[in-house]
Order: sequence, then C-alpha cells, then structure tokens
Amino acid sequence: MNLDPFLAASPLLVVALGGCLLMVAEAFSKHGREENDSRSAGPSGDLALGTAITLITGAIFSAGIWFVGPDKLEGSRALEPYLILDRFSLFFSFVLCVGGALSALLAGGYLPEHKLDRGEFYPLLIFSTLGAMMLAAAGDLLSLFLGLETMSLGVYALAGFRRASPRSTEAALKYFLLGSFAAAILLYGGALIYGATGHTDLAGIRAAITSTAATEGAANPAVLLIGVALVIVGLAFKVSAVPFHMWTPDAYEGAPTPATTFMAVAVKSAAFATLLRVLVEAFGDPALTSWASGWPPLLAFMALLTMTVANLIAGRQESVKRMLAYSSIAHAGYVLVGLVATIKVGGDAQASIMFYLLAYTASTVGAFGALILCGSRGAEAVSYEDLSGLGRRHPAAAMAFSFFLLSLAGTPPTAGFFSKFYIIKAALGAEHYVLVVVLVLNSVLSAYYYLRVLVFMYMREPAPGAPLARPMRSGYVTTALVLSAVLVLVLGVFPSTYLEIVAQAALASR
Amino acid sequence: MSPFDLVIKYWLALAAGIVAGILPRGEFPARRRVALGLITALTVLSVQWLWPVEGAAAEATADEWPHLLNVLIGMPILGAVGVLFIPRQMLSLVRGFTLVVLGVGFVVSLALLTVPMTPGWHFQFIKDWIPSLGIRWHVAVDGISLWLILLTTFIGPIAAYASFGSIKTQVKELCFCLLLLQGAMLGAFVALDLFLFFVFWELMLVPMYVMIGIWGGAEKIKAALKLFIYTMTGSMLMLAAMVYLAWTHQRLTGVWSFDYLALSQVVLSRPAQMMCFWAFSIAFFIKVPMWPVHTWLPDAHVQAPTGGSIILAAVMLKIGTYAYLRFSMGLFPGPASSLAANLAGVAILGGIIYGALVAWKQADVKRLVAYSSVAHLGFVMLGLFGVTPTGIQGAVLQMVNHGISTGALFLLVGVIYDRRHTRLISEFGGIAKVMPIYTALFVLVTFSSIGVPGTNGFVGEFMIIMGTFTSERLGTFAGIHTIGASAGVILAAVYMLSAVQRVFFGPLTHPKNKGLSDISPREMVAIAPLVLMIFVLGMFPSIFLDRMKDSVAMAYDQFKTVSGQAILFADEQQAKLLPADTFSPAFLKGAPGVKEEGEPEAPPEAGDEGVQGAAPTRRDGVLADRGGDR
Repeated sequence: MNLDPFLAASPLLVVALGGCLLMVAEAFSKHGREENDSRSAGPSGDLALGTAITLITGAIFSAGIWFVGPDKLEGSRALEPYLILDRFSLFFSFVLCVGGALSALLAGGYLPEHKLDRGEFYPLLIFSTLGAMMLAAAGDLLSLFLGLETMSLGVYALAGFRRASPRSTEAALKYFLLGSFAAAILLYGGALIYGATGHTDLAGIRAAITSTAATEGAANPAVLLIGVALVIVGLAFKVSAVPFHMWTPDAYEGAPTPATTFMAVAVKSAAFATLLRVLVEAFGDPALTSWASGWPPLLAFMALLTMTVANLIAGRQESVKRMLAYSSIAHAGYVLVGLVATIKVGGDAQASIMFYLLAYTASTVGAFGALILCGSRGAEAVSYEDLSGLGRRHPAAAMAFSFFLLSLAGTPPTAGFFSKFYIIKAALGAEHYVLVVVLVLNSVLSAYYYLRVLVFMYMREPAPGAPLARPMRSGYVTTALVLSAVLVLVLGVFPSTYLEIVAQAALASR
Repeated sequence: MSPFDLVIKYWLALAAGIVAGILPRGEFPARRRVALGLITALTVLSVQWLWPVEGAAAEATADEWPHLLNVLIGMPILGAVGVLFIPRQMLSLVRGFTLVVLGVGFVVSLALLTVPMTPGWHFQFIKDWIPSLGIRWHVAVDGISLWLILLTTFIGPIAAYASFGSIKTQVKELCFCLLLLQGAMLGAFVALDLFLFFVFWELMLVPMYVMIGIWGGAEKIKAALKLFIYTMTGSMLMLAAMVYLAWTHQRLTGVWSFDYLALSQVVLSRPAQMMCFWAFSIAFFIKVPMWPVHTWLPDAHVQAPTGGSIILAAVMLKIGTYAYLRFSMGLFPGPASSLAANLAGVAILGGIIYGALVAWKQADVKRLVAYSSVAHLGFVMLGLFGVTPTGIQGAVLQMVNHGISTGALFLLVGVIYDRRHTRLISEFGGIAKVMPIYTALFVLVTFSSIGVPGTNGFVGEFMIIMGTFTSERLGTFAGIHTIGASAGVILAAVYMLSAVQRVFFGPLTHPKNKGLSDISPREMVAIAPLVLMIFVLGMFPSIFLDRMKDSVAMAYDQFKTVSGQAILFADEQQAKLLPADTFSPAFLKGAPGVKEEGEPEAPPEAGDEGVQGAAPTRRDGVLADRGGDR
C-alpha cells in the first residue's frame, strides 16, 4: 500500500487524531464533573498542554513535509481536487497550527483564572483548527464549504463559552446567525458558479472559463460574476472586511479572550488563504478579471473601506478588546490591498499576504495574550482606564503589551513593520498608488489608538478608587507571549529566510 | 611611548582635570571630585584631538576599523537591553551604567577623528541583511555626518546626566529610552541604505514619545501624541516614496536595492520626481521643523523633561536637516534645485522671521527657546536651499552650533525650572543678584545663540548668509533672501536679549526668587563642556570646516551635475538610470553594482529567486513610466 497520500495529509491527520485522543482523555478525566471550583482541579492545565503539543506537532509535520517537498511525495495529488496539499496549504497549515497552539496556551492560563475551566474548549479548538487547515487546502467548492463549516461550528461554540455572561451568548448568537447567512451566501455563489461552468473544482472552473472565453467570448458572465461576488461576500464575512464586519466587534468582545484570539488569527488566516486560492486558481484569468470587470475593483473598494472605517472607529473605542477587534478588521484591509495586487504582480503579492498573515498572527496573539496577562479574575483589563499606571505597577506586563502593539502599529524593527512594508512594495509594484497612500495614512491613524494604550499604561495615573486591572500569573500565557515575541522579533529583524519560504509557497498563477 | 611622553603630550588635559578636581569649594565628596576631574580631562582631550595633527594623516589612513560604526550603534542598543536586566531598586547602578555606556560611546566616536576626511565614505561597513530585496546593513561616515555623530555622542551623556538630576521616578525606563534613542539617532546619521535609515528613523520616535509622555509637564500626553502623529505621517509617505524609488530601480536594472548610492543614479520622470521629493521632504520638514508643520515642536519642548528637550533640540531636529541634505538633495536634485528659491522664501519668512517674531512674544522661556529653534533651523535650511559650498558648510556647522547652544539653553532653563517650577518670564526679574554664575553662563550662551562674533553662532550664520548671497539657485531673489535672513539675525538679538533683560536684570521683586541658590556643581559639570565647545567652535571654526569641506564639495559637485541632468531630462515621461561615470568613484564605493576586493559576481537571478514570482525584466535602461498618474 502506498502510504504517501497519508504522509502528505499527515498534518491534518495528526491534528484530527490528537483531537480525538484529547476528547477521549477529557471525557475520562475526573475533572469537570465535580462541583469544586478550586483552581488546581480544572482540566485546563493538561489539556492546554496536550492541545498545544498536538497543534505544534501538526506544525512540525507541515514543516517536515515542506522540507521533503510535497511534490516529491507521489501520492500527494491523490486527494485532489478536494484537498490540494501543496506548499501553499502547508504554509497555511503551519500558520494555523501555530496560531491555534498559541491560543490554546492562552486558554490554559485564561480559563482557570476566570472560572471557565471546562475541558470541551480544547477539542473544539483543535477541530476548528482542523477545519481551518482543510479550508486552506480546499481545491473544490464542496470541500471548501465543508472546511468552512467545520471551522465555524467550533468557533461558534467557543464564542459562547462563557455561558453565564449574556455578552458571550449574544456574541455567539450574532456570530452564528451572521456566519450561517454568510455560509449560505457562499453556497449560493458556489451554485451559481457551478451553473455557469459545470464544475465545482477550481481547476475545472478555470478551464471552463478559459475555453468558453476562447470560443464564444464569455459564456454567461453575469451569472459567473454574481457567483464570484457572492463567494467573495461569504468569505469577506469570515475575514470581517467592511461592510461585512458588523458582527466582529461584538463577537470579539463577548467571546472569552483566547477564543477571540483564535478567531482573529486562525479564522482570518484560513479565510484569506481560501480567498487567495479561489481568486487566483479559478478566477485569476485576466480575460475575466481585469480592472474593468471582475473582482479586483470590488476588492480594492472593500480594502479602502475596510482600512478607513475600521481605523476611524477603532480610535473611538473605550474598550481595549473592542479596539483590538477593530484593529483586526483594519489589518484585514491591509491584506486586501495585497490581494488586489495579486492580479498584476502575482507571486510577489501572494508572498506579501502570507508574510503579513504570519506576522499578524504573532503580533495579534501577543496583543491579546498581553491583554489576558494584564487582567485577573474580578480585575480584568477591559477599558483603557483599567490599564492606568500599569507601566509602574507591572512593568513586565506593560512592556510586553507595548511591544506587540508597536508591532501591530508597524514600528520597526518588528514583524508588523516589515510585513506592512512588504505589502506596500507589492501594491506599488502593481501600481495601485491610491491604495498605497490610503494604506500609509491609515497606519498613521492606527498609531493613534495603539499608542493610547501606552498612554494609559505609562503616562496616566489611575483615578483614586477606580477599578484597576491586576495582572495574573500563568506560565502558559507567559510561554505564549515569549514565543510570539520571539517570532515578532525574528520576522522583523531577519526576514530573509521567511521571505524565501513565502515566495516558494505562492500559488503558481496564470 | 613612555608614560612620561604621554604626560607631556597630554599635559593640558591632565592639568585641566586636576584643576577641576580641586577647584569646587565646600563639602564635595572625593568620588565626585574624581569624576569631575575625569570628565574635564576627557573634554579637554577631545578638544585637543580635534586639531589636525600634521604628519599623522598619512599613517592613519590605512586603519579604519570597519566595525567602529557598528560598535557605536550597537553599544547603546545592547546597553538598553542590558538595562532591562538591572533591578530597578539599584538606582545608582542603572544610572552609572547608562552614563558609562554613553561616555564610552563618546570616547569611541573620537576615533573617527583619527582619519582624514577625504572625499567619499569612511569606516564603511556593508553586510547583506535581506538579500532578496537588496536591503543591506550599509553604514559609513563622511565629513558631513562625522560632525553630527560627534554632536550626538557628545550631547548624549550630558543630556543623561542632566536628566538624572531632575528625574527621580521610573529611572530604569528613562535609561532604556535614553540608550535606545542614542543608538537610533546614531544609526540614522550613518545609514546609507534607505530601508536601514527608515528603521532607525522610526525607532527613534518611540523612546522620544515615551520620554515626553512619562516625564513631561501638564499637557504631556497631547504633546507626545502630536509629536508621534506628525512625524509618522511624514515618515509613512516617505516609506511609500522609498519603495517606489526602489521599485523603479528594479525595473531599470532588474535588481532590487534600497542602497542610497544605487538609488541616486535613478532619475525619475518629472511628476514622479516631484511626488517623491515632496514625500521625502515633508517627512524631513516635519522633523526640522519648518513652517507650517512646526507646531508640534513648541508643545513637545515645553512638555518634555530637560534631558528630552536637550536631545530633541540638539540632535533629533538635526536628523531632519541632515536627511534633507543627504537624501532629498542627493536623490532628487532636480526638484531640490528648481524649488530652491520658493523653499528658501518659506525658510526665511516662515522660519527665520516668523519664528523670531513668535519667540519674541512668548511668556514661557522654554517656548521662547523652542521658537528660536524654529528660527535657527530656518537658517540651516536656508543654507541648504541655496546650495553653495559655503552655504552647505555653514549649514552643517550651524547644525552643530545650534545643537550646542540650544542644548545649553535648555539645560540652563531646566536649572531654573528645577528651582522654581515655573518658566514664565514674568515670574522672574533681577535674579542676577542671587545667581551671578548662572546669569553669566546664561548670557554667554545667549550670545552664542544670537551669533555674537567670537562664539560659535556667528560663524555658521555668517557663512549661510554669504552662501545665500552668492547662490545661483536663488537667482534674482538671492539679494532679497539675504536681506531677510540678516533681518532674522537682528530679530534674534531682540527676542533673546529682551528675555534675558526681563529675567535676569532689573529689580528683584518676587519674594520666592530671593532665596534661589546658584548653579550647583552637578549642573556646572553638565554645562561646562558645552560652554567650552561654544568657544572652540567660535574661535577655531576652520578645524571643523577643514574636515567637512571635501565631502561638502563632493556633494555639491554631484548635486550640480545630477540636477543639470535631471532638468535636461525633465520633460520626458520616463525614468532613467544615470551612467555610473556621472558620479565620483569615491561616492560609489560600496554601491551594490560596484564590484571590488574579490566580491563574487552576483548574477541578478541570485537576488530574485526568493521573492519575485515573475522574472525581472531588464530593459534598455529606459522604460515607459506610468508613475505620474497617481
């Protein structure tokens, strides 16, 4: 028997297997069924570690197959078109696993601290990550939908994990309803595309478009264009691009912070991976998609809107978590700029998107992790006011938070700066000057609200008697922060190696 | 060389050190006396080293230690990381460590003086950083940046020492900021790779932001934010222009490069040239600051702690003027030349005259000094806009002058603020009676600031005005510009002297002022080197000018040639690469295309295998530019 297909799919399989094992382990553990709420009794410690190890193993497998080279494995194409196991999906498997593992570590500190210590968090997280990995590897609209739903169902549950809190329930419901609508819209778009081309696999769709365009101009462009637009709308919900972002702030704010981290990091990266693959592999044809028609102008408009609106609103927020939610919308806007550029500069722009998502993953996990670290039970860091004077009271926590925020703001020599630089380079290469100017002005806007956190932490003293955030102590959170800090610094200072990697990961377009 | 010879050679420094150690009266611990002696000896020694040594030039040429600049930049940055690991309770260790790192930095930077500044780059160090994008760690000095580096390393310890006197809270953070800032500023002065320059340029911003924000006055947060947002707006536009320039270079040659030497060979099409010139220059004008984007400066200065003000005025503003000279004029000589007369008009009306008039009306001494900075830097910019060798030399000299005299002014204003916690001119009057030494020093520094002959300010301003008068770029306006600038000199005397008159002389009315103590030995130590330098610069400007004149001449020649080319070329809608022989070989030493010393022949593919999906398209040096239709 040829084991190569299994080897090629091993990152997915490892994660799936680990998830099953952890679920069993959780069910048979004594934890959770007992009434006691004491901190040491919760299952979080072991499960968080187990989840992190599972996902890191997944990441290691992805990296291993990367070095072997997926094209060297004979059976790696056996699962096509449903799962395409190329360097592109390996890269995203790696990013998603790292994002998931770091979120699990954050949960290991967060859940016990906030008395949410129930074991089901971790299997849900793992299976969501699995869905996200499938989504990134999907080469067919059906497996795409499957991956999307696998990912989303887990995240819906994670968002509502704080059962006692009405906000969390609201977040879950809102996310679930809008997410379902988005999924339905995506499905409808897929059906239209199928109707126009007779294919659900991306390569087939592309071939059908090319052949009809060659013989009789365009076959049924209106149906096809509406289909593409609907697919983009469906995925834009997941990346929370304006105007499909309405759920984001509420869902991000209501969900427990590790779940928020996962949503901001993994869900967004996976959705961008799919968007990239669908648009490049199926609709990357200049005949259909020039500036005059097709998706680039749509995405360009969305990028402008996303960046500007998100940054303007983020500046007005009073809650730090909500600010970070809007900031993640704004970052989606920056990535969209790169996505628009793919049509002209191809590989370069794709590489910039992938580098951006990796850097964004590290910085965002760090920022949310620092926010978790800054608050303990009953003394959570919610608003800016809560963070007043933190720099004096807890210099280490404040410094970590500042570091990640500076990376998100794009200050050298962090990953955030270099990734933004790389996006700018790609967009300039594609001659999208307006997008570039709007992007750079937006990053100035964004500096305002990121710095506001620093203002409160270092430059304001708390009002007497006001509630203050008291940092928690957790080895898991600290570990996650150290790992992300290393990643942020390495990506920012020595990006060479990673640039080569993302360049290799780019899809062969056209 | 025997110890005896050393004593003979350096007798002056030795004597000065001993005198300084013995001189202070009253109860003064031995440790302080030794420190004082050492600092004085070091200062005198550094002044001694400034003088060119006959005969030594030839032997010294050979050994330029290539890592010198890396050490200069790296030491403070690593020191900043090191400070984080010192427990915050050990105050004196944190402070001592910072001072030692900064002080050693100054001593190391003196080694730059051992090399005669022939045209071209010295202490050049190049190493690939991000090869796939052609980004390199490329640092070097020439006669222009030499003085700014020395200014930075000279001011750094003084500013730190002054801050330690007044700032008692969160000292660890302060030291971290000071060291990081020092490293970033030095990096910005020596970086010859645009990307590297940008990294340092941005890196500098955060510590300064934090310094104003934490230890500043009542409106500190607003001031800090204003500084950050203003500077960042400019720098982000600069980043975009920088990438555009590198991208054009890539289209012309097939190779990515952010190297200043490589990019100065690119002549963009006219609209793109203008756009990029403005994108770069606005960033620099904000930093300088020039009217009308100067409004962050008074706020920042008024709110900043004394140490922060000193660094901001003495060094950070110079990065704007230096960068304009190096990058705006170096990369876009065409627009810099054709816009010269207009920009010079703005520098005179908005900077020199308006700045002086506003300074005159200020009630707060620090705000007054801040606006005087606007006026003085207007002079520097005028010297650069005129583009004459004299004007540029004067401008560079004036950058150093302004650093020293304004640094000293802020230091002295800090002294009085520490005693009275107010800086309002109306609160004072007649304090010459209670603080005679302080008054003498303040008047002296004031003279330097308004350019009384014999002090440093005179030489710089004189050269700038002379340069303006003879400038071809300013054309028929040169005369008017000169008159305006000269009026500025008079106004400077008016506002500074009237403030001095109101603060120090007249009757001693305010009861609180009667008990003021005169300047303390600690403050004396901080101010003494600056006062010494005022006279050294004022009386022997030629030792400074000699070292910079070759580099300035080279920059000037290049500007003339390239701007001529650019103007000839201006009507075409295409970007072009100038042939390498347009530039002097000394300038191109170390440029990415130039091979030397067995450097392996790098095929263009080597740089591209990583990132570009599409193969680079090499065309015939000229290609259609769609860059203007922004």
